Order: sequence, then structure tokens, then C-alpha cells
Amino acid sequence: MSRAAPGTGAVAGRWPAGRAVGVGALIVLVVLAVLPLLGGTSNATLLTLTLMLTSIGVAINWNLTGGFTGYVDFGHAVWFGIGAYATAILISLQSNGPQVGWPPVPAILVGALVAGFLAAIIGRATMRLKGPYFSIAMLGTFVAVREIVRVWSPLTGGGVGLTLPPYLNRALFYYVELALVTVLVVGTWWLRRTRFGAALVAIREDEVGAETRGIDTTRLKTAVFSFAGLSTGLFGALWAYQNTFVDPDIAFVEVRTIDAVMGTMLGGLGTVAGPVLGAAALYWVRELLWTHLLDAHLLAQGVLLIVIVLFVPRGLVGLVDRRGTSLFELWGWKGWSRGLRQGPVAGGEAEAAS
Amino acid sequence: MRRSVRAFVLVSVLATAAAACGESPAEDAAPAEGDAAPVDLSAFDGAVRIGAALSETGKFAVEGRDSRQGYDTWVRWVNEEYGGIRIGEGRYGAEIVYYDDESDADTAANLIQRLIDEDQVDFLLGPYSSGLTTGTSAIAEANNVIMVEGNGTSDTMFERGFQNLFLVATVASDYTKSAVEALAARGVRTAVIAHEDTTFPTSVAEGARRHLEANGIEVLAIEKYPKDIQDVSAIMTKFRNLGPDVFLGGGHYNDAVLFVNAADELGFEPDAMLITVGPSNPRLVEQLDDDVEGVLGPTQWEATMAYEGHWFGSAADYAAYYQRLWGEPPVYQAASATASALALHLAIEAAGSTDTDAVRQALRALRADTFYGPIAFDERGVNTAKPMGTIQVQDGEILVVAPDAAAVAALVYPRG
Repeated sequence: MSRAAPGTGAVAGRWPAGRAVGVGALIVLVVLAVLPLLGGTSNATLLTLTLMLTSIGVAINWNLTGGFTGYVDFGHAVWFGIGAYATAILISLQSNGPQVGWPPVPAILVGALVAGFLAAIIGRATMRLKGPYFSIAMLGTFVAVREIVRVWSPLTGGGVGLTLPPYLNRALFYYVELALVTVLVVGTWWLRRTRFGAALVAIREDEVGAETRGIDTTRLKTAVFSFAGLSTGLFGALWAYQNTFVDPDIAFVEVRTIDAVMGTMLGGLGTVAGPVLGAAALYWVRELLWTHLLDAHLLAQGVLLIVIVLFVPRGLVGLVDRRGTSLFELWGWKGWSRGLRQGPVAGGEAEAAS
Repeated sequence: MRRSVRAFVLVSVLATAAAACGESPAEDAAPAEGDAAPVDLSAFDGAVRIGAALSETGKFAVEGRDSRQGYDTWVRWVNEEYGGIRIGEGRYGAEIVYYDDESDADTAANLIQRLIDEDQVDFLLGPYSSGLTTGTSAIAEANNVIMVEGNGTSDTMFERGFQNLFLVATVASDYTKSAVEALAARGVRTAVIAHEDTTFPTSVAEGARRHLEANGIEVLAIEKYPKDIQDVSAIMTKFRNLGPDVFLGGGHYNDAVLFVNAADELGFEPDAMLITVGPSNPRLVEQLDDDVEGVLGPTQWEATMAYEGHWFGSAADYAAYYQRLWGEPPVYQAASATASALALHLAIEAAGSTDTDAVRQALRALRADTFYGPIAFDERGVNTAKPMGTIQVQDGEILVVAPDAAAVAALVYPRG
């Protein structure tokens, strides 16, 4: 546990100014990269850190649509589950599955692509909705996909699930996920500085305005949504391989979405460091809570959520960086009013129908 | 803005409350993280350190608690009554390091890894449920640590060729074996099956079909239904028109109520009804009264079973000992947990060491009669010696009718 403390601590060094933040982040990265080489890092620690990196990765992806583009996705974990399942289907040799028997690397990559592809299709439809309507549509997608997976037994093994060969190299998965998270952080930092990133924020701030200024909002938001799906699918694919077993209730877990939302809100919606900081902090807070509070740990978590929403709506990073946003700006306030009042102009028939 | 903020807070509070209610807290004092059973090991020559991740919270909290009491029953017995595990000339105390896996796959994986790496346990006992056992047994396998378990019975776990996973309970596909054999002996010709489309009922139903066909009974129809079904009358109407000798149904407790009621209302009267989950629960008999008379059900273990062993004595003796410790009768999950620990204990004694390879050999060679039934593992690590028991509701009592070795009453066929 103590080993990850530098992680959260040094990222906290982001407060002062751009350069200091960059140096701090680099130090964290080096510490995390060298850690397993120092010896004394058990597989248990590596697994803990890998699971933390997984939730950071999912939170970063969630922030792309939720924080930057302003579409609060309450079913984001569906891409995680789809990535996990697609990979498991391709690898598993279990008698009740399709027994494809692919090697892991192509299976994991294809698993992520399947998630990205489905995200493109579903995103095109659901992103016509605004504010809470989109959030609920995605929650529905999540539940529906889980049931489809349960019923489609010739392909998915049904409720029985699928087992994968137990190849457990904790250090390998740790480095792969560390590299992925690094790429994502650098990617979002860069994105924030591009026209594309600015266009996403424009969609969040005023979608109709963005459209009238010539931004192809449908294409941009579908693109970012598909990328987030693909990336979360990749984490899901890696997770399936590490867990060596998927079934509908294990691969599609609501908590994964809730964690991404809470982590991002805690850190700061629509900021680069927010989801990293928030998801990491949340992971350790959770660990402490269930160690010390046990039966009350979910209650404590709920209280924490309320406190964040009411008192630090812009998250920890939002305390110093005003470029982020908050959930009620997205959803309770702007999103809501935009969805109801200006919807027909922005979303056409689909909006009117909702 | 105000209103929406308030709405959000309200929703959050409700969600939190719902989450808090959904989590059934363990009734006894909640154990701290990684605590061991409170035993004094100073009197022994050493200790055998065993690890287990069980669900103290989350959806398996109740079964997790039963499993833990089952493990602790063995710990108390081996340290206080038996005088420690005999390894060579020495007497070794037993201790179990527990963690709460929160009924969550990631947490369970994390904790099993922690037990192996940081707590450096010699052996593992299984978690509760097939899903959690499937994931964690892979970690045990990859680290060459033996896991003995009694509460994850899905067949797919044993297709993986693992060397370190052992199951004392009957595997899901054999749940109906003793019942089907008993019914075949009574001249049953045809059967129908309805099962919920989830892990365990599917394994049970597929196994049932195999056993029926192996006994020359024709399966007229197999119907799957979704989780949380509210109405089975369409299935039962179809079955009534087929007119089979036996109806097999499986899912959750509530499905048993639906089956029995629908059969009664629709006039579907097969000569035997075998329902996977429900009949062994006294609550069903109270709830349905006469309608459930003669219904059959599989059971891993009952305190009334005629099994006996050198350790713990008979099934009834075990139940009495358990009752003394915990103030409640043992459910089969608890008995399975105790039997898992006992199998490991016997293998350690036979091996004369805690060396993994030696104990694995000993587990493979183990042949023991116990309160739980005979224990002998096949090459997959499944205990195929213990048949699944079958109970029948007779005059409102739940009586074991098959297999013969465990039976306390004769099978009534056709039912009343």
C-alpha cells in the first residue's frame, strides 16, 4: 500500500504550474516503472497496482466523453465487459464455448476492436440524446448487453461463463497497463491542446453554438466515444486474461462505471490529471474503508460521493484549475436545460421524441 | 439549479441506502482484515497455516458466513479435540487466515494473491461460489498452492486440467445422479427438464440429461427460462401435454414455488417431481404444505444421512458439535467447508509433511469415510466417491431416500 503513496503524492504536485506538474508526473512514472525491479515487490502488490491502473485507465476513458465532451455515460463498463468477453470467446477452449483457440495477443487486440466498433454503432444512436436521457440510455445499454451475453450461450457460454488458460505473469500485465495509462495521460494532455480537444469542450459548453460554428459535432463525439470504448475494451480484454474467467455477472459490473464516475468527479471532471488522481485516491480510500469499516464501507462511500458533489463539485484539480467542469454543470444544470429547451434544434427528431 | 442539486443529493442518498440494505451484514462480530481464528498454538510443535478468502459482505455474505463457520468448526475441533495435526512425531496446530472478498472477483483474486505472497500460507481453502472459485483457483494453480474446496461445484472448473484444485462436494452435473438412478430402478420411461439459464442450473440440467439417457429414460423436452422468472405456466402447459413420468426443474428457491403451484393449477401430475433448489429447505414445506408432498430434491449433505467417520463421528454427531459451537444447525455449505478442511488435514497426515507435492499425492490417494460421506478424488480433483443425496418430502418431513448408503426412508413412487 505504502508503495503507491508516491503515486498519488507526486501527482498532487501538479498544483503549482505546468512544468512542475510535468516533472512530478515523470518522477511518479519512473518510480512506478522501477518498482518491480527493486525486488521485494510481491505479485500481490503488482496485482493491486495493476487493478488500480485498470480503474485509472477506465476513469480516463470515461472522462473523455463525460468530462471533455459533456456526455455523462452511466454504462461505460459495458465496453469493459465486451472487450473481456470478445477476448475470452477468442481464446477459450472450454467445451460449452465456440472453442476458437486464438493466441492471446491478437485475441486481446481484436477484443478491444470489437468494443470500439460496437461503441461506434451504439454511440451514434445514443449520442443523439442529451443530458440525463443519454445517461439513462447508456445504463440501459449496459444492462441489455449483459442479458444478451447471458442468453447467447452458443457464443458466450451463457450463464456458465468461459474459462481461459491460467497464464499469470503479474509483472508483464503491470507494465502493459502502466504503459497504456501513460499513453492515455499523455494523449489527453495533448488532446487538450489540439483543435479537436477544443471542439470537444465546445460541444460540452454549447453544442448548438459549436454546430453553428461549423463543428461536425456528431462525428467528433462519436469518434471520441468510440475511442473511449475501444480503450476501455482493451483494459477489459487484459482483465479477462488476468482473471482467467468471465461470466456475465463478473465481466459486467455496475461498480466499474460508478468507480470511473466517482474517481473522475473526485479528481476533477474535464481535466487531464483529474481521473488519474481521483481514481487512484478512490482506490486507496476504498481499501482503507473496507479494512476499517467493513459493514459500513458502502455507506461511507456514498457519503463521500455526496460530499464531493456538494462541496468540491469541480474535484481536487478543479480547486486550482478552472478549466474543468462539474456534474451539475453538465447534467443537473446546463445539460438538463439544454436538453429540454434547445433539444429540438440540436438533436432533431430524436431529441423531440425523447 | 437548486432543485436539480437537491434531486441529485436525494438520488445519491437513496442509492447509498439501497446499497447499504442490499448488503446483508454478518450477524456475528465482523472479523477484522486477515484475522486468524483465535487459537492458542503455543502448546503445539508448530502450526499449519491455511488461507481463505470468504464473502463477509456482498451478495454471498450469508453463504460466506456459513462456510467460515464450517472451516472454523474444523479448526476448533482439530486444535481442541483432536490434539493437532499429526505430522511425523509432532503435533501441529491449525490456523486459518481469513479475508473478506466482498463477493467480488477482483477483490478475491487480490486477496488470494496476498495470502500466497504475503501471508505465505501453506494451503488454501476455497471461497464461496463457482465464479469466485474459478478465478482464484487459477491463481493457486499458477503459484503451485493446493486449494481444497466444497462450495464451487461448476463442472467447467475441472475441465482445465488443474493439479492443485480439489472438490469434496459433488460436482453440479452429478446433482441428479442418485435420484435418476433410483427412479430408473422404479421403471421411469420419460422425463422433461426446465432450468434457469445461469451457471449452476445449466450444469445441473446438462448433467441430468446425460444421467437420464444413460439410464434409458427418454428426455421429451428441455426448456430454458431466464433468471427471476415470474410465471412458468407456459412451460408447465407444454409439459402437461407431453405427459412425462418425471419432471425435473432447477433454478432458485422461488422457482420451486412456481413449479409446484403451476403444476397444481394446470393439472400437470407427473409421477415424480425432482426440483434442484428448494425441497431440502423446510421453509418450502411450510409454505406449500400438501402440494409439495412427494417432491424430490438433491442435497449435498443432511444431518440425518447415515454417514459416519473416524473424525467428528457420524453426520448427526457433527451436527451436534456444530450446534454447540455456533448455536444453529449446520447447513450443507458449512458441512462442505468442514469436509474440505478435513480432507486437507488427512492428506497432510498421510503425507507426513506440508510439502505441496507430497500433500497433492496424498490427496490423490486419499480414501476416507467421513461424516460428510466417502471422500476419494478422481484425476480431475473431483470427489466422485460421494454420491449426491436425494430427499423426498414425506408426510411433511424431509427424508433422505437415495442413495442407499445414506437413505433413511424408502422412495415413494409414484408420488401421492
